[in-house]
Amino acid sequence: MTAPNTAKRTVHLGEAENTLISQLLSAGARGAADELAASGLPTRRIEAYHYTDLKALLGEVPAIAEEAGQVGPPKFRVPGAYRILVANGRIQQSTTPPNGVVVSEAGGSSLTERDDVLVMLNHGLVEKSLAIGLENSVDPIVHIDHRIAGAPAHTAGALRIEVAPGATATVLETFSGSDAAHMGNQGTRVELGDGARFTHIVVDLSALNSRHFHTIEYAVGANVQLRNLLVNSGSALSRTQMFGVFAGEGAHGDFSGLNLVDDGQHNDITLDVNHAVPNTTSQELFKSVVRNRAKAIFQGRIVVSPKAQKTDAKMMMQGLMLSEGAQILSKPELEIFADDVQCGHGSTCGELDAQSMFYMMSRGIAREDAKAMLIRAFVQELLDPIEDEELSEALSGVVEEWLSRPAKSPAI
Amino acid sequence: MSTPMLEIRNLHVRVEDKTILKGVDLVVPKGEVHAIMGRNGSGKSTLSYAIAGRDGYEITDGDILLDGQSIVEMEADERASAGLFLAFQYPIEIPGVATMTFLKAAMNAQRKSRGEEEMKTPEFMKAVRAAAGDLSIETDMLKRALNVGFSGGEKKRAEVLQMALLAPKMCILDETDSGLDIDALKVVSQGVNHLRAPKRSMLVITHYQRLLNHIVPDRVHVFSDGRIVKSGGKELALELEAEGYSAFDEAAA
Repeated sequence: MTAPNTAKRTVHLGEAENTLISQLLSAGARGAADELAASGLPTRRIEAYHYTDLKALLGEVPAIAEEAGQVGPPKFRVPGAYRILVANGRIQQSTTPPNGVVVSEAGGSSLTERDDVLVMLNHGLVEKSLAIGLENSVDPIVHIDHRIAGAPAHTAGALRIEVAPGATATVLETFSGSDAAHMGNQGTRVELGDGARFTHIVVDLSALNSRHFHTIEYAVGANVQLRNLLVNSGSALSRTQMFGVFAGEGAHGDFSGLNLVDDGQHNDITLDVNHAVPNTTSQELFKSVVRNRAKAIFQGRIVVSPKAQKTDAKMMMQGLMLSEGAQILSKPELEIFADDVQCGHGSTCGELDAQSMFYMMSRGIAREDAKAMLIRAFVQELLDPIEDEELSEALSGVVEEWLSRPAKSPAI
Repeated sequence: MSTPMLEIRNLHVRVEDKTILKGVDLVVPKGEVHAIMGRNGSGKSTLSYAIAGRDGYEITDGDILLDGQSIVEMEADERASAGLFLAFQYPIEIPGVATMTFLKAAMNAQRKSRGEEEMKTPEFMKAVRAAAGDLSIETDMLKRALNVGFSGGEKKRAEVLQMALLAPKMCILDETDSGLDIDALKVVSQGVNHLRAPKRSMLVITHYQRLLNHIVPDRVHVFSDGRIVKSGGKELALELEAEGYSAFDEAAA
């Protein structure tokens, strides 16, 4: 992590930074500690963190997580899935893996080193990462159930998913935990062999006073079909950053996400997709629903490398604001260095359609029910492509839970 | 004389600082079909929205009574449950909500608010199939998102289907003939006529006489500049068609 060119001045370090530095030092990550001491947490002056000023927003950093005691049943459950429970960064429970699934552990973070504070912290703090090998097509959904248990804790964890060429599989990662001001920093690296068909669903249901950070990398081989879907309804502060690189021709990626944000929450989805080779396509669809004084952020960048001719990439961001004081910040970017490509992006934001509301109410549907129906309709487009019915139902359950949260201030 | 189904008294309505209805008086007795005719911009649609309770349609004076009960303080959904139905001139497309889901939600919402038991799925399906058959609506259409990709005729038939299923006491049909060819007009009109009943009244809003050949009204009211300027029997529609609206503007002045 390098200090920005413009800021030669000495960085004032706050309590959070000092705690993080001492945690890095305890973990033996001298280099990372020095870098953090030199640059501090990113502020709004750092472009990538413009909307999520970590220095201002992070708050108190809790102690590094101890080994967790027994944790309760999962908040998000898909019947028939093969579930691995990871509590406070350690595998706590897993049964015999289904055919084709190899579970192992490896030293250090699974992420590629990059100039990013969350990645740097992940590298500095993760001792062992979980590795899931999907060696052939796997029928049951592989569910990594990440928990942070007990008193407020700082957990750093990492996962590497390797999907063999030609294999078809679905991995679900969920984040939840006890009701405490945790801080989680997860890294997930997904390596997709040629011709793999892979679905990656990530659901954040962390406690509403916790901080959740997740960096996801996709290394996409030739002729891969990748679908990802993020669903965020938890955390006081969250940032999920995804870095996808198309490294083999003929691949397609569907990147999608849903931010369900309520009072006091600040949820950031940041996406960086790099079409590095010719003949790859991607479609990005991200939606935010914001209620009360809360903030949803989507930053999406599609980069098309000079040799990546015939790239076809379409990015769309749609926001629905349900209250005064709701904020949706959207920054779509295209960086195109090839000339024979089809790329586009769009961003729309609005309130519930007044005409639709009146139409539904004129048929006897009460205002709150009409709203809920329109919100469901708005998000349904993201859930429709999920073929597994039980998974799709569980995801709808997250939406329903969010809809049924008690209203805190009058909506518009 | 029994309580009229709909009684509008000196109704004044303002929309965004503009007074559009300037004292509407209207009585529709039970079992009767009345027509309101007026040129575009005369306030006909405002009248229908104000009766149905659309947000932003502020009643500054007067009252609306449905079967003797004032509805002006009610939300649109409460008015619907009380027995009011508005067939829209331009039915709204709602992507992501299947027509069947919507129909069931509407029927059960009304039942719930009236303290009745919710309809079970088999009973509901049976009712929908019967009503759809009468209107030559393919069940395939009902699986699609509400009004999305429906032709003009399909949308209007879907409105009449909703009307048949919700069995309102008072139906307001806002420009039901717009966007319909002759064949579709016949199907829709037959559907509406089929619903005429001694305990149900209708208010048909139109600016062409054509619709009234199919849905024959008991009374015709001419609307101009936010109020009713003349009322008469069904022959008044023909008179209008022959002389044009301008002949009635005098009366409004």
